[in-house]
Amino acid sequence: MKTKTTAKVLGAALLTMALAGITTVYAEDQYTIGIEQFAEHGSLDNCREGFLEGLKEEGIEEGKNLTVDYKNAAADMGTCGQISDKFASDKVDLMVGIATPSAQSLYNAALEKEIPVIYTAVTDPVTAELADKDGNPVGEITGTSDKLPVKQQLEMIRQILPEAESIGIMYTTSEANSESAVKEYEALAEDYDFKIETAGITTTADIPLAAQTLMEKVDCMTNLTDNTVVSSLPTILEMANEAGIPVFGSEIEQVKLGCLAAEGLDYVELGRQTGKMAAQVLKGEKKASEFPFETIEEAAFYVNTAAAENLGIEIPEEMTDSAAEVFEEIAEAK
Amino acid sequence: MDFFITIIEQGLIYGILALGVYITYKILDFPDLTTDGSFPLGAAVTAALISRGVNPYMTLPIAFAAGALAGVCTGLIHVKGRVRDLLSGIIMMTALWTINLRIAGTSNVPLFSKETIFKNSFLEKLLPEAVQPYGTLIVIVILAAVTKLILDFYMKSKSGFLLRAVGDNEKLVTALARDQGNVKILGLAIANGLVALSGCIFCQEERVFEISMGTGAVVIGLASVIIGTSLFRNMTFMKATTAVVIGSVLYKACTAVAMRNFEPQDMKLITAALFLIVLLISMERRKKVKIDA
Amino acid sequence: MLELKNIYKYYNPGTVNEMCLFKDFNLTVKDGEFLSVVGSNGSGKTSMLNIICGSIPIESGNIVLDGKDITNAKEFRRNEKIGRVYQNPSLGTCPSMTILENMSLADNKGKRFGLGRGVNKQRIEYYRELLRPLNLGLEDKMHVKVGSLSGGQRQAMALLMSTMTPIEFLILDEHTAALDPKTAEIIMELTDKIVKEKKLTTIMVTHNLRYAVEYGNRLLMMHQGESVMDCAGEKKAGLNIDDILEKFNEISIECGN
Repeated sequence: MKTKTTAKVLGAALLTMALAGITTVYAEDQYTIGIEQFAEHGSLDNCREGFLEGLKEEGIEEGKNLTVDYKNAAADMGTCGQISDKFASDKVDLMVGIATPSAQSLYNAALEKEIPVIYTAVTDPVTAELADKDGNPVGEITGTSDKLPVKQQLEMIRQILPEAESIGIMYTTSEANSESAVKEYEALAEDYDFKIETAGITTTADIPLAAQTLMEKVDCMTNLTDNTVVSSLPTILEMANEAGIPVFGSEIEQVKLGCLAAEGLDYVELGRQTGKMAAQVLKGEKKASEFPFETIEEAAFYVNTAAAENLGIEIPEEMTDSAAEVFEEIAEAK
Repeated sequence: MDFFITIIEQGLIYGILALGVYITYKILDFPDLTTDGSFPLGAAVTAALISRGVNPYMTLPIAFAAGALAGVCTGLIHVKGRVRDLLSGIIMMTALWTINLRIAGTSNVPLFSKETIFKNSFLEKLLPEAVQPYGTLIVIVILAAVTKLILDFYMKSKSGFLLRAVGDNEKLVTALARDQGNVKILGLAIANGLVALSGCIFCQEERVFEISMGTGAVVIGLASVIIGTSLFRNMTFMKATTAVVIGSVLYKACTAVAMRNFEPQDMKLITAALFLIVLLISMERRKKVKIDA
Repeated sequence: MLELKNIYKYYNPGTVNEMCLFKDFNLTVKDGEFLSVVGSNGSGKTSMLNIICGSIPIESGNIVLDGKDITNAKEFRRNEKIGRVYQNPSLGTCPSMTILENMSLADNKGKRFGLGRGVNKQRIEYYRELLRPLNLGLEDKMHVKVGSLSGGQRQAMALLMSTMTPIEFLILDEHTAALDPKTAEIIMELTDKIVKEKKLTTIMVTHNLRYAVEYGNRLLMMHQGESVMDCAGEKKAGLNIDDILEKFNEISIECGN
């Protein structure tokens, strides 16, 4: 009799636990995340796509067990702050910041709310104070950096243009990412016997004049991931083609549009990597503060043979062979 | 709850900016575009000072002074250089872009690891545990209230009377044996000082300086002033300054609600529409002295 | 004493529209004089006032006020000793400020405009005393914005305000022209009273020939930048409107102006 009761009680307890277990499992399976993208931009869009793919690969899929609240700040700081505060007050499970100002703004909003933040496309998380000097997170925040593989890029340019002496870089003075990239170029250029000429601009309107001035001084140009410059890439390429100056890109999209070649980032891949990090945080496998920010170690080589033909430049065969992707035509800008 | 707190915080910070715009637009009748430059100027000065370890509370008067200086420059260009009001503002706004970059050193200065007027050991000791989460709100309310009261006091002083007179009727100021140009410069200085003060507070609340943070500041300010002064026009017991600050909170509330229901890309259009609607409803008839030859 | 010496004034100098208004113009106004100035449009009456006050520059000549050359003094500096009432009633007051605030502003002329209280409460009664004789009821509307007052009320305030602090010179620039006849009459009487009380040296430009005859102790008629008639003292006292009209016709200008 006694044992029966015990068994009953035990059974009931087990059942309750199991049920409780199931419900908690279900509850944990539903995720809500807020994605804040700083501006409308091809690379950043790719980042976001890749990010969602990365999550999907880890079993977290939009529409199934994931709700995504996506907001674009339209490059406005005030809007950034408002979006961040909205996510924080909605108490999403995770906030995702694409590009530096969004990442900073989310971090600021998350500080008191204990919501983890994952960022991507932040060139220099240390300067942005999102990571300490050793690359460790400053709080529940981590992500991936889109720091350009400047060294590989310089090496590649030297290989394609053995005679070139100077490289022109156009950048927006208000974009911190560009500024730090320019500094890196200037620091490394000497190793490859290049001289760097820069032209700082403030708005799209400055581009034609700045490009003209720059092209008179340099043998070739290379792009950063500068938002303003990249959005005017077709204009720049047209002018460069007329002047017979090769323009190197910094990521796959730019090569697609007609940049000669790039040792660059694949933003979709960067996003995917970030998505996997986010999945770990969401599932509770790891806390954001437990992993340092990541970069894509291997730069991929992209080349556009149509652009090379237009310029009359021959790309060494061993380079095209090792390319991650070879474009044989110049795509129309979206 | 958090939603409302955010709106009030942002509204009050921009309310100080709106007070500055109120002086130029309503009192001086001067469409001052310097605002777009002096707002980040206050932030740049703040970022530069805080990252050098200056006490965050010291940034408030220093940012005000920096903004006032920018206002004086706009005033000198307009009054002494006889450049049109709109152009004087545009010139200063453009110049300030570079100046702000130089002051801050770079286009993005994070302040996450620094003490600010909202987060510092002094406040932590001062405020009891229970109100800590509202620390930011409390500090902002105090700052906005003090700024408003000082401005009210000033507007009732002899100097304030002269300022109010100059936008109304320059000739009267001249008739009072005062240089109306100098009074205008003074007004621009106070206005831009307030705008920079607002930028200083905003930068510490967001804990980051961004060079582009001033873009559209003048629009926010104008919208707040127009909403405030039109909606509360018939309430004589309410001071215009109070109306302007409330206008700013309302404006922020509108944008926050709009943001929940529309895409952020559409925000500028919604802002413009909101602006226009308030203007049309209130159908402001500006009283201006016609100066005949 | 005010002296205008060898004044040359051109409009649009250096262009095809160049026009010479004053060519070696001279005028002396003695202390205590109440000078009425008449003349047709474009005769230079208002330009003369603007030159005295410094609102417009001159090509050459000297302006001397009480022995001091003020030719290069800025307009606002000259206003330390000069009070001016314009034709447009709104130019003499601040529409968005209350009567009390306007009076306080005027009361502070010549003193520092610092951070002290704009309204001195102890002076309110004094302002009321000043407003009461106008019989316009303004003394009971101290907190009403001047912008909501009528033209005549505003002009009365402008007159009070410009003469509230000690000045030596009063310039009246067709200050009754924008008012209805009855209000104009009231303002004119008020003007006369103030000028006599404060013993102000006054220049009044008017198109109303009757006022020019009735008020003041000297009359000047201007035509094309020159004085064509200047009578003072008994000669002025003996003048009547017909005499002036006759002179007007003589210089073949349309009458009745």
